[in-house]
Formats: sequence, structure tokens, C-alpha cells
Amino acid sequence: MRKEYIDRQKREFGRKVVISLPIHYPKEILTALDVLCVELWGPPGEISGNQAGRIQTYVCPVVRKALAFIAGGHASEADALLFPHTCDSIQGLASLLPDFGGWNGPVLRFIHPKGERRASSEVYLVREIEAFIAQVETLTGKKLEPARLSSAVKLHAEIDALKLRILKLRRNIDMRDSELYAILRRGEWLWPEDHMAELKELASKISDKPQKKGVALMLSGIVPEPMDIFDVLENAGAFIVADDYAAIGRRISSSSAELPDNPLQAVIERYFALPPCSTRSSDLAGRVEYLTGLYSQNGAAGLVLHNVKFCEPEMFDVAMIKKRFAAMNSPVLYVETELEKQLSGQLSTRLEAFVEMASKGGESE
Amino acid sequence: MITRKIQYQMAKRAVGPFLMALDRWQSAQKSRKRKPRETPFGPPLQSVQKLKEIMTLNYFEGRYADGAVPVAWVTSGFPAEVFFALGFHVVYPENHAALCSTRHKVPEIAEFAERDGLSRDVCSYARTDIGSVISGKTPVGRLPKPDMIACCTNICQTVLYWYRNLAEYLNVPLVLVDTPFMYGGTREHHLDYVSAQLGEVIEAAERISGRRMDAEKLARVVENARDGSRLWGECLAISQARPAPWTGIDTFFHIAPIVTIRGTETCNEYYRMLKDELTERVKAGVGGIKNEKHRLLWDNLPIWFKVREHSTMTAERGFNFVCATYSNAWAEAGDLIDPSHPLESAAKTYTYVYLNRDLDNRLKTTVDLAKSFGVDGAVLHSDRSCKPYSVGQVDVKERLQKDMNIRVLLLEADHADERSLSGEQAEMRLLAFMENFND
Ligand code: SF4
Ligand code: SF4
Repeated sequence: MRKEYIDRQKREFGRKVVISLPIHYPKEILTALDVLCVELWGPPGEISGNQAGRIQTYVCPVVRKALAFIAGGHASEADALLFPHTCDSIQGLASLLPDFGGWNGPVLRFIHPKGERRASSEVYLVREIEAFIAQVETLTGKKLEPARLSSAVKLHAEIDALKLRILKLRRNIDMRDSELYAILRRGEWLWPEDHMAELKELASKISDKPQKKGVALMLSGIVPEPMDIFDVLENAGAFIVADDYAAIGRRISSSSAELPDNPLQAVIERYFALPPCSTRSSDLAGRVEYLTGLYSQNGAAGLVLHNVKFCEPEMFDVAMIKKRFAAMNSPVLYVETELEKQLSGQLSTRLEAFVEMASKGGESE
Repeated sequence: MITRKIQYQMAKRAVGPFLMALDRWQSAQKSRKRKPRETPFGPPLQSVQKLKEIMTLNYFEGRYADGAVPVAWVTSGFPAEVFFALGFHVVYPENHAALCSTRHKVPEIAEFAERDGLSRDVCSYARTDIGSVISGKTPVGRLPKPDMIACCTNICQTVLYWYRNLAEYLNVPLVLVDTPFMYGGTREHHLDYVSAQLGEVIEAAERISGRRMDAEKLARVVENARDGSRLWGECLAISQARPAPWTGIDTFFHIAPIVTIRGTETCNEYYRMLKDELTERVKAGVGGIKNEKHRLLWDNLPIWFKVREHSTMTAERGFNFVCATYSNAWAEAGDLIDPSHPLESAAKTYTYVYLNRDLDNRLKTTVDLAKSFGVDGAVLHSDRSCKPYSVGQVDVKERLQKDMNIRVLLLEADHADERSLSGEQAEMRLLAFMENFND
């Protein structure tokens, strides 16, 4: 289905297709230059093919699977690969594939600044985005028109605003979390206008009364894989009330309402207004503060830290987050997954036990 | 404050040097009494005693530094010249963690960080230093509390995650020099970004220390750093001789001054002395090991807690690690540093760092080293704890084998945490690798 959709985008609309590694990149630029971006988070399941062994098993599965997938020839529909500067492992992959084989096509790179907003990082980000525009212009053979960028900025701001509303009022949608996330995650590969249409339909299902009952949980991590985590939690009597996945919540900028008229400046503002993320090395105290705020504003009764195995950026934040939640007497569960197809029985049991404990306002595991 | 200053000056100028002199005398007495042991190594380097003194004194001074002078904890790749020029005492947590590992203290200390929620899958240097901050445990007596923490991402992003945690635990400000990774060449706006951040760092350091940067002093420190880096490179290059007058494993220890007191006259004096000694050894045909039959290259960080065992085991079989990408990384900067343009040249120097560059460049550097040192084999330490250094090694191994026609071993271990490595397993692999050379 995804493949057919991508083919049609190329055929009918003449769009270029870029396969992007996670996580943060200025999607507005791609949209404005008519590039369909397809994100690569996996694919879930066993790593296969003889390319997989080119990266050691102590490196995160997102990167190892991406290598196996791309170098195994499965990215042939792409016109280019995009590597945002997410972490040491993606940085390594961004050199390994083009330098040592596995991808011969064009490569786009976006090296976002790390740490807090500073005078130096503001200036740098403007110039890095200009450099990114130049890369995409070369790829497409098109010149970026300010009017097109303005529309793209507006479109993505609307998408953000819609997603924010959906996530805020998710209790009022009569839909299983697994279905809701499936729709939200289609934004990883749909053309933004198509994604927007689906989000609008989803938003139309928001009723004025809560539809969900059970233990309200907050989830934080990199990516909600395997997706059956939602069913396991829901079947145990929980529902998700707040989201801090890097793939979802951490990419929704809260700046949409007050973006400046200058579209390039708007892209910059949007970036700096994203929620704190370990992969952008946001201030740690600020991140913990943000999480506790999100948790209490949404009335969560427990926090599941759902990490990808060997994900260093995220692992370094866990201790401080756990400590702060423990001080608030809020139950926390830490789990690791490896982009497997399904949760293991053991992990499902831990999640079920956690829901039961959280329902009684219990202590962290 | 005044008492602290007096204590610090006493430690630096009187007590420290006295203790060092005492240690020197005791060592001389002991070695006079001791019968020379039979080892596979050449005669020990005389400079070792001086190295020990410099490093011990540095940590000893540090015990009294906080409250007396401003203190900064910095990453190994940080442009610390700015701190030296402002009279800071500078602490290198990576060097401290390596020291903990050579003393087999990592499991005990890192456990404090792990109990606090830090995963055992993250860099063992980070776990060790965070564990040391939590527990106060350290083999150096005491580390001074920093007034600021300074992080440069030119070796990895991991240091930033780690230093963000240190800043939280110690409740001190963190300054950052974020160096965009170099794919191929660097770009103007990347260097401008690094330059601008250096300006921000100086402002913060001035504010925190209450001192003003003296341009002449900075130029002097930068000049020393350039000369120190060149001298270090010259010491390493001497191992192109056959037999190499020292071992690559020695270089892992003698690297300490260029990492921790780069920019000081003490650092340069030390390397002049070392260079003279190595040159003399070459003239006299003295080798780092007695019977050099095979020359090897080492890639990635050392396995600190096993360094001695591994070097003895290899030396006994006539194998010498004559060069290492790790030691070489601190010699590369020499020609980029320009004291007349300290900030602009620092931006370039600290961006063009081995680990901040793409794999093509890494392979090229490795091949150049292998060729110029005439190696016939290489050991690539696949370091569980250091993902940035290790990603790509599988391909590098193949390339080296194919293009250079040398034997290459990919040896999985950890640079600091002995719990991650079955010692016997690594030794078996090294032994099997060396046996191959008899084919
Ligand atoms: S899961 Fe973590 S380590 Fe892996 S690519 Fe994503 S951010 Fe990097
Ligand atoms: S050992 Fe590797 S991961 Fe750890 S700080 Fe050094 S370069 Fe970074």
C-alpha cells in the first residue's frame, strides 16, 4: 500500500521522494519543493540480509535496520536519502552508506544545532537551513519560491495545531489507541495535505465528553514500536493520555499560532519551539520540567518510559526523569524494545502488572 | 577563600613538588635494590617518572583548587586554551575515568550511577564519572567541584548527554561548543558557528571567574598548544624506526599531558624530554620490545584495565603496537593552530578532529598510518561503550585486509568497564590472531 502510494506520488504529481532517517528536519522545505518525505523507522521485525552485520549489535536497531534495508536495495524508489544529525549512530550511518557502499544516490544532510537556543545557534540554524534549501533545490532542479514556502509553513503549522488538539482531547475520541497512533504515524510517509485530510476526519470524531475509562498513562520514548504496546496496555485497562514520543509529540511545535510572516524565520521559530528532546540535547532540567507538566496537566496516573534498546540520547535522560517522578510518587516503568514485530510475553506481563499497580497509585518498578 | 588560596599555592609550589621529590627518591632506592626483572620489553623509558610526577601533581593541586581558582571540567576535545589563559584549574573527566579503569575501580564506582538509573549500555566513562560525583569515590583523593562544565561535541554527541547530567548533579552551568560533523570538507557557516560559540564560552568564563581575557596570554597558550601538538606528533613519528623505540601502548599513557595540560610550558618541556630520549633510543637501536618481529596498528580507545596484560602478551610473541589512531588524534592539530588568529584557527582545529570526520577520512588516516609505520597487522577494538568510534569498523576491517593486504582483528571489548569483557575471551582471540602470522 505504501509502495503504491509512493509510486503514484511520483507518477501523478512528479514529486521527488526522499527517504529520511529520524528525527528532526525542516519538513516545510521539502513540502515547498514538492518532495515527498518517507521516514524510515525500521522496518519492524528481524534484521535480515547480509548487510546487517556491517554494524555491531550494540548499536541501536533503528540504525542497523536502516542499513540492512537501504543497503539491501529496498530503497530504490527514493531519489535521495536524508540524514538529520540525530545521534552518533545516525551520524555514523550517514557516512557508512555513501562512503563504504549501500547507497550511490544523492544524500541530503541536516545538521541541527544542539543544546539550548543561543545567539550563535540561531544564526547557525538560519544558514544551515539555507544550505539545506540549496541541497533540495539541486535535487529537484527547482527554485524555492517564498510564496510556496509560506504555504508550506502554514500547512505544517495547521497540521501541528490539529495534532495538538487531537492529543489534548484524545480522551474524547472513541477509538483504540492503536488506531489513533496508526493515523498519527501515517504522517511519516503521506503527502502533508493527505495527512491533514485524515487528521481533520479524526478531529471530527472528538466529542464533548470523555470516551475513555481506565488508567490514564503517559508514554515517552523514541518511537512507538512495536505498535501492539497500545493493545497490551488497553487490554490491561489503560489508555494513553499524554505523549512524549520523539516520533510524535516531540515533533509538534507549540508555536503555530504566533509564527512570524517571514517564512524562513517561521521555520526557525518552529524548530526552537519544539518540546524538549534528548536528540536535540535540550536542557535536562527543562525537559524534566516539561514532562512533569505534561503529566499533571493531562491527569496521568503513571509513566511508561519506552526506549529503543541502545538509544544513548534517551538512556542518559532516564535517571533524572525517574528520580523526579519518584519524588512526585508517580509510578514509572522503564521498558526497552528493539523494533520487533510484537511485544514479548514477558514485556506484556510487565506492562499489565504496571497498569494494575498504577491503578492503585503504586510505586515505580 | 584566602585560606583556600594559600592551601592551593602551598600544594602547587611546595607540598606537591616535595612529595614528588620524595617519590623520586623512593623509586630510585627501590630500583637500586630491585633485581632487574625479565620482561619482553626494552629498558623502561626514563621519562616515565617525570610523566608520573606531572600527572600526580596535577591531580594533587586539583584537590585544593576549588575556592582558590576557578575550576572547569572539560571534555578531552574542548578548546581548553581559553580556560588556561584565564587561570582556571582544568579537570578532564575522561582522563579521570581512564585512570579509574587502570586501577580497576570502574565496577565499584560506575555502580553508583547504575543504581541511580543510568543504563549499563551507555559509555563507561560517563557511568564512571557520574558514579564518582554521586559517591565521592575516586582514586585521586578528591576532584575539585567545578564552577562550570564545558563540553565540545567534536568527539561524540555522547559527551553532551553525559555533561548535561554532570551539570544537573553538580548544579553548575554548562557551556557548549557544538561542532557540526564534517562530511567531506567543512562549510564556512559551520566554522563561523564554532567561532561564535568560542566567543560565548569566553564571555561565560569571564563572567564566572570574574577575570578578563588577556589577548597576549591567550596567544601564548595557543602557541604552546600548537608546539605541544607538534612535539607529540614528532614523538609518535619516531616509531617509524625499526625497531620502534617505544610501544603504542606506552603512547596511551604518555598522551596524558597533551590531553590535560595542552597549552602549558610543562607539557611542552615534557615532550621535548621524551623526544630526546626516544631519539637516543633509536640511535642506540633500543626497541620498545626486545624482539620486534611484527608491527601492529591499534584502532579505537585502549582497553584501559587490560592494557598491561595485552601489551605483555603481544610483546612476548614479538608483536609491537607501533601506532594507534587514538594517540595520533592529538597530533593532527599541530598545523592548524595559528596563534595570531587564536579563535578562528581554534574553530578549524577543533572541528577537524578525527572523530568529527567521515569514515572516508578515518579510513584514509588509518591507511596512511599503516603505511608510514610499516605495519603488517591491525587490531580494531570494537568498543561496546563507544559507538561513534566503532560504527564503520566492520567495513574498515575489510578495506584494510583487501587494500593493504594485512591481517586485521576486530576485537570486541569495552574501554573502561571490565564487567563487559570476558578477559579470557579477548586474550584467546588475540592469541589466535597472532598465531596466524606464523602461517
Ligand atoms: S533510536 Fe536513538 S540511537 Fe537509535 S537512531 Fe534513534 S536517536 Fe539514534
Ligand atoms: S569513549 Fe566514545 S562515547 Fe565515550 S566519551 Fe569518548 S568518544 Fe564519546
